[in-house]
Amino acid sequence: MLRLVPPGRPAAADPLTARYDLGGFYDEMFSAPGVPRQHCERLAAYLADATPEQLEGQQQIVERAFLVQGITFAVYNEGAGSERLFPFDLIPRILPAAEWARLELGLTQRVIALNCFLQDVYGPQRILRERKIPRSLVFSCRHFRREVVGVQVPRGIHVHIAGIDLVRDSKSGEFVVLEDNVRTPSGVSYVLENRLVMLRAFPGLAQSHAVRPVHHYPTELLQILHGLGGRDGRAAVVVLTPGIHNSAYFEHSFLAQQMGVELVEGRDLVVDSDVVYMKTIRGLRRVDVIYRRVDDDFLDPLLFRADSVLGVPGLIGAYRAGNVPLVNAVGNGVADDKAVYAWVPTFIRYYLGEDPILQNVETFLCEDPMQRRHVLAHLDELVVKPVGESGGYGMLVGPSADGATIDRFREVIQADPRNYIAQPVIGLSRTPCYDAGSRQLVGRHVDLRPYCLYDGERVTIVPGGLTRVALRSGSLVVNSSQGGGSKDTWVVY
Amino acid sequence: MLSRIAEALFWMGRYMERAEDTARILDVSYHVLLEGGREAGRLRWEPLIVITGERDRFFALHEDATPAAVFDFLAFRPDNPSSIAECVARARENARTIRDRLSRELWEDVNGLYLAVSRFPREEPLTAGPHRFCDLVKFGSHRFQGVASATLPRDDGWFFLKAGRVLERIEMTARIVDVQYHMLLEGQGEPDPHQWMAVLRSVAAYEFYRRRYHSRIEPECVAELLLLDAHHPRAIRFNVAALQRALSALSGTGPDTYANEAERLTGRLNDRLKYDRIGDIFARGLHPFLEEVQTACRSIGAEITRSYFHYAMGQ
Repeated sequence: MLRLVPPGRPAAADPLTARYDLGGFYDEMFSAPGVPRQHCERLAAYLADATPEQLEGQQQIVERAFLVQGITFAVYNEGAGSERLFPFDLIPRILPAAEWARLELGLTQRVIALNCFLQDVYGPQRILRERKIPRSLVFSCRHFRREVVGVQVPRGIHVHIAGIDLVRDSKSGEFVVLEDNVRTPSGVSYVLENRLVMLRAFPGLAQSHAVRPVHHYPTELLQILHGLGGRDGRAAVVVLTPGIHNSAYFEHSFLAQQMGVELVEGRDLVVDSDVVYMKTIRGLRRVDVIYRRVDDDFLDPLLFRADSVLGVPGLIGAYRAGNVPLVNAVGNGVADDKAVYAWVPTFIRYYLGEDPILQNVETFLCEDPMQRRHVLAHLDELVVKPVGESGGYGMLVGPSADGATIDRFREVIQADPRNYIAQPVIGLSRTPCYDAGSRQLVGRHVDLRPYCLYDGERVTIVPGGLTRVALRSGSLVVNSSQGGGSKDTWVVY
Repeated sequence: MLSRIAEALFWMGRYMERAEDTARILDVSYHVLLEGGREAGRLRWEPLIVITGERDRFFALHEDATPAAVFDFLAFRPDNPSSIAECVARARENARTIRDRLSRELWEDVNGLYLAVSRFPREEPLTAGPHRFCDLVKFGSHRFQGVASATLPRDDGWFFLKAGRVLERIEMTARIVDVQYHMLLEGQGEPDPHQWMAVLRSVAAYEFYRRRYHSRIEPECVAELLLLDAHHPRAIRFNVAALQRALSALSGTGPDTYANEAERLTGRLNDRLKYDRIGDIFARGLHPFLEEVQTACRSIGAEITRSYFHYAMGQ
């Protein structure tokens, strides 16, 4: 093993790695107690020589950097103005090149199939007429938008940006898809900021690993946005944010800055004769492309929620007239509905004529009476999720829930079965994190959200993505709103 | 530039300046208090609240203007929108809404000051004196200006930031002089030179005064310096000229002309400060003159808003 400690320094007498407990789960770093996987050997050696003081020192540097930069997110339901640091664990999660190559193929296939599905349901609806999937599945979906059926989106792209959540099942050791996010997936800014901070805190370590870079993401995204606007790439592109009270505001601002485009709020825009303008100090200026981080519901009070103050009256009119592409397209929620998710393998076969490279998690649709019966009988073993939510809100994790919670879910499922799906509990893989309380390395469950960009021909994925980690011992919920943190994710050459 | 961004820069400049000016006043007053007697002390603390324009709010909360109450009110109270902590928080909130338009350095600087102020031990100024807190804010504001100057391009945004800062400074200086002069008239006949020295110190002009006038502290000379001096960066005339330059850079008009009401009012005020003599001003009354300056500031602020931030649609 290659040692990265300065020469002359003795190895720690009782290395942190020696006491690390794999806990019966697939571990991302170790194949057996004390035996690192091949692509993690250098990192394991580094940790074996590291002391708690050293790691705590680095942790402080990193946290200070995040605090000073104001890299925070807002937490809802805790009173106005609560900003929090997104907890960050120092120890990177490493993916080997060969595994990443396979993930890339699988993600590309999935994103293209999801885009085909959206082209179809908002166009000819061939898949429905041929009865490959039930009509009711689409038309009962809360995020299906009749208002945009027949709208021709530029270059046929509905899914410009996708965040596909993957988890590694400890049983098989394989990655499976947990959910698709093709509305306004967030988190990519943490991928970029985590990397910057890591390079500062551990300059030698990253270099010695030949980590594939991620910082081309904003450039790739900008290219896609420009490509939609005509004007020979001189289109006026803006990022539309709900404002500073949104949990992902930092990211909106970050991406606008990295792309060098204007960050606007709804009140900065006006629509006149189906053309969108922004209010500048020298009058109105035309807007050609909008990367919107405002949900469909709030985009246009004339068409969707009338009480929305975040949106722009008339925006959907301008969109339908073809005067302003919205990224992602309106109505994408029908493709990442958790009941529709169960059919994505069908989409891949139907639209692409291929077998899915990445598998789904087994999913029970509560709408189906047979499946519902099974779900209700096994609530204490299953994970139940509402189909249209994101961010880990409104979930039931059966094995760790009390009787009252389970009873409540039994009622809500029966009251509105279309709104719920259930999945077996996946034993998510774990990876070592440093726990300052016990001054030990502890295994914590992780997922992986790669960010995929689609320009109508090619899918570009920044190597790695966001590794979210459930920092509470034993927890399987990685969402930042539910006590999750993140790690830098390295794809090595 | 988006109107909303211009407005945020303008207010960021204003709030940061207000925080600094309040810190200056508090710091200096405290040191005067150390020198003076108990009775004198009470007289000196009440005007501080008047200067910030929050007299009613203060006396709704407190019966008596004790040093501790005044200090806490002006430095920390979240229910006082002019308290230093609130001004810094609002400057930072404005910066946060436009952080993509600021240099990374400037954002981190504002955010750092906000963190330092919001975590400052509230009881320390009362036990160990307010100097460390006031210095934190004063030098925080100076560093903010330095970082802005060293990292921001000289585009429209720069001029809005600058316009906000100098407009606030003009108004604060006018209030400081107005309130002190008023106290003097109400006073027991004998003008207190310490009070005027404190005024000079609060705007960093004491040394400059000594060099310039070679005399004891005369109210008329102090007023002349603070109102009409063309060279001192906290004098009203200096800042009105700076405001005029910023506004004409924004509209692109040449000298001796104007493109909007804000510029016309600023130009008119500038002319008065240029050609009036301090004797004339005293003859007509200092207080009415300072009232006029403050009214002009409010009108100029409203006109900047109307021309650039919230104009009527359909243009």
